[in-house]
Amino acid sequence: MLSRELIKEALKKALATGADYGEIFAEHTRSKTINSISGKTEKIGDSVISGVGIRIFKGNRCVSGSASSLERSSVLACAARVADALSGTAQITDIVLRERLFGDIHPIKIVPVSVENSYKIDFMREMSLGAKEYSSEISQVRGSYAEVDHKILIATSDGLLAQDRQIRSRVSVSAIASREGENQTGSASPGARRGLELFELLDPRALGEKAAAQAVTMLHAGYIKAGNMPVAIENGFGGVIFHEACGHSLEASCVALGQSQFAGKLGTQIANPKVTAIDDGTIPNAWGSINIDDEGTPAQRNVLIEKGILKTYMIDKLNGRRMGMASTGNSRRQSYQFEPTSRMTNTYIAAGEDRDEDIIASIEYGLYAKSMGGGSVNPVTGQFNFAVNEGYIIRNGKICEPVRGASLIGKGSEILMDIDMVGRNVDRAQGMCGASSGSIPTDVGQPLIRVSSITVGGR
Amino acid sequence: MTYQEFKETVVSITEEMQIADYELYYTEGDSTSVEIYQEEVKGYSVEEDLGVCFRCIIDGRAGYASTENLTAEEARSLVVRALDNAASIESEEETFLHEKGDTYAVCPQDTSPSPTGGELIESALALQKKMYQADPRVSDGTQAMMLYGRQKYALCNSKGLDLEDVISLARCYGMPLVSEGGEMYDGFESKKGRLQDFDLDAIAGKAVEDAVSTIGADSVPSGKYTVVFSNKAMATLLQTYASVFSAEQAQKGMSLLAGKEGERIAAPSVTIVDDPRYEGSYVMRTFDGEGVAAYAKNVVEDGVLVTLLHNLKTAAKAGVKSTGNASKSSYDAVVGISPFTFYIKAGQCPVASGETCRGLEDMLALAGEGVYITELSGLHAGANPITGDFSLSSKGFLISEGRKGAPVKNFTVSGNFFTLLLEIE
Repeated sequence: MLSRELIKEALKKALATGADYGEIFAEHTRSKTINSISGKTEKIGDSVISGVGIRIFKGNRCVSGSASSLERSSVLACAARVADALSGTAQITDIVLRERLFGDIHPIKIVPVSVENSYKIDFMREMSLGAKEYSSEISQVRGSYAEVDHKILIATSDGLLAQDRQIRSRVSVSAIASREGENQTGSASPGARRGLELFELLDPRALGEKAAAQAVTMLHAGYIKAGNMPVAIENGFGGVIFHEACGHSLEASCVALGQSQFAGKLGTQIANPKVTAIDDGTIPNAWGSINIDDEGTPAQRNVLIEKGILKTYMIDKLNGRRMGMASTGNSRRQSYQFEPTSRMTNTYIAAGEDRDEDIIASIEYGLYAKSMGGGSVNPVTGQFNFAVNEGYIIRNGKICEPVRGASLIGKGSEILMDIDMVGRNVDRAQGMCGASSGSIPTDVGQPLIRVSSITVGGR
Repeated sequence: MTYQEFKETVVSITEEMQIADYELYYTEGDSTSVEIYQEEVKGYSVEEDLGVCFRCIIDGRAGYASTENLTAEEARSLVVRALDNAASIESEEETFLHEKGDTYAVCPQDTSPSPTGGELIESALALQKKMYQADPRVSDGTQAMMLYGRQKYALCNSKGLDLEDVISLARCYGMPLVSEGGEMYDGFESKKGRLQDFDLDAIAGKAVEDAVSTIGADSVPSGKYTVVFSNKAMATLLQTYASVFSAEQAQKGMSLLAGKEGERIAAPSVTIVDDPRYEGSYVMRTFDGEGVAAYAKNVVEDGVLVTLLHNLKTAAKAGVKSTGNASKSSYDAVVGISPFTFYIKAGQCPVASGETCRGLEDMLALAGEGVYITELSGLHAGANPITGDFSLSSKGFLISEGRKGAPVKNFTVSGNFFTLLLEIE
């Protein structure tokens, strides 16, 4: 992407005013999105992103710049603009770049960009048919397909020169069921750090049916009555609560500034002893996996919480300086236009020892949250609110009728203590996580868990 | 190469390949931002961006491709990719390019010089200081941010349109953290406009008040309440549900407002306006994402749905004129539909004529008992535009005996947007 000479020259220029660390991030990304409505291709987006992001540190202070070009003159001008923000004399004058090869632990069999549109569209058509033919109550089906081919280069004043190519593919189907002027929705959206071999792992009809079944079920459901009750949260996307209510508070960007409910709690018990939580960027071909992070640090498997004890945070280089801790390979950015910061990769609650049937049987009256929706959390206070897309009442240890309108309301530090049963089957699900460094792919996950008591919002 | 050179290259390729209908949409911008932590500059950033999207129409079907890489080689690839994508479109509705002939508004240009990096730093540091001074409980973790950016939007097409809008804008954010009794409370206040117009004392005061007012806040027991929404809270709700006014959503069976033009969809006191040049928004646009002249319109008038928002494609299907609401969320996005500045028009004073109107106080007095909601969060997840259902984490105050009472937070407001519009008093 950039020649070694240009990288060295740009780094020198950026460091000319006294910074003690410099970094160049260059990117060339091709992406495509295809959207269909009622099984017909409606819109195709097809873009090339290319540019450079330059950062310099002086102590805890960071100056950054970016430009939408990889041309020599633009890269050097960007370096000069960044240097202009400091006023000192150069501390680092000699940079020896040593290229490191990390290899790729996420093999790609079929590079999506090399495959014609029609192959992708055929798959989407099958998804739509699967949903449409599930029930006469399905009034509309939307499909989408997305591929990203993201090439990055990172060079630093420490001499690191590293590159990676991250290929991801994802499909999504969303169904609307209608009856008497009322709508309900259901969806399925699997993805992976894979090429089009992803299609070989998925049954498009079954995905469509899954989305449709959820919409139809909820169309015939009544509203849940609000109250405090035990809740069993299903595996897969159920992990979104841990991601939002605890994961974000364990990111160094929040901890280093004292804005986290978990700041200063290393080595202390913050969760029920049944809870072990892991952020693992090294799971082969997983949606949130990376070979190296966006500062060039190799991905790691980080045990965040072990049997309830807080073991580590997720740390990037800049916040690591403030905290006096090393990077954990969690620095990520959407693109060269965003400054990287500590983010999650694949974050999940590890398998426990309880059997699923025992968890359900243990609840006299409560909610079974089969499919979670998104939610929001305030990382300062840890307060969260999540929608339950598909929920059922549990009565006398048995899953009964479906209910709509349920939401789970609580506080991160409290729900962690209240997870008192943890199942054995971990499943992960894919999401796009948005924060200050942009929108990045992350996996959430967990086995079936029981929360002893939580506020369930309803009507 | 420059954009002008790139544009000429693309045009000559379209001639060579005999592509009659095409459009180039280009944006470029630069911005500077500064972030303060404790009493120091924590981050300083200078960004420059540009991107171009090529759209061709082949047999009524639109093919898109975009790039940030302005080279001759890329120009050719751009056209080839767009052609290939157009051939894959199956939707039967025709897409059009906009012809010349609209009258476009002329926006007054902000001629004041851009603030320097030093001025942004100075004013961000001042805001930070004022937040610390506003209350002794304001603590570390408090952050102030100041941004200045300029953005250019340009659109030209094979029908001879050649348009350009330039926007420059400063933004300022106060994000205080207050600690009391081992608990932390956060606040937020932002303003946009011209740097020299920012009243830092007022911004700091409001931001800290936002945090402090929730200290000791409790939840409210579940039940049905009379609710007064603050203008900020209602604006976030309207923004979340803006897509239900899109003709595209309606035509695809994804909006419950489909076919409701001319019908009452809200209380008679409700008028909803979309204005591309709303005074005070500082974002002044003269054309939409397809080059149609942008204009102000009542979308809902006295409770009656006047029109949905259209682009050229949905308008042709419905047999009406485009409302100039074609949108591109970024240069590389496909054309969709969205409002510009979308707001509920101020209504009549709730008190009898002859008395002085006191706005919120009067409204709380009329409500008697209930909840005054000042903030809604989790709208991306807890609000479904297709069903209208929402279940949102909220904060605000109790209303008791017609006055603002104790603060309340972390309770859920559930309802349905379409029902809510009808029940506004």
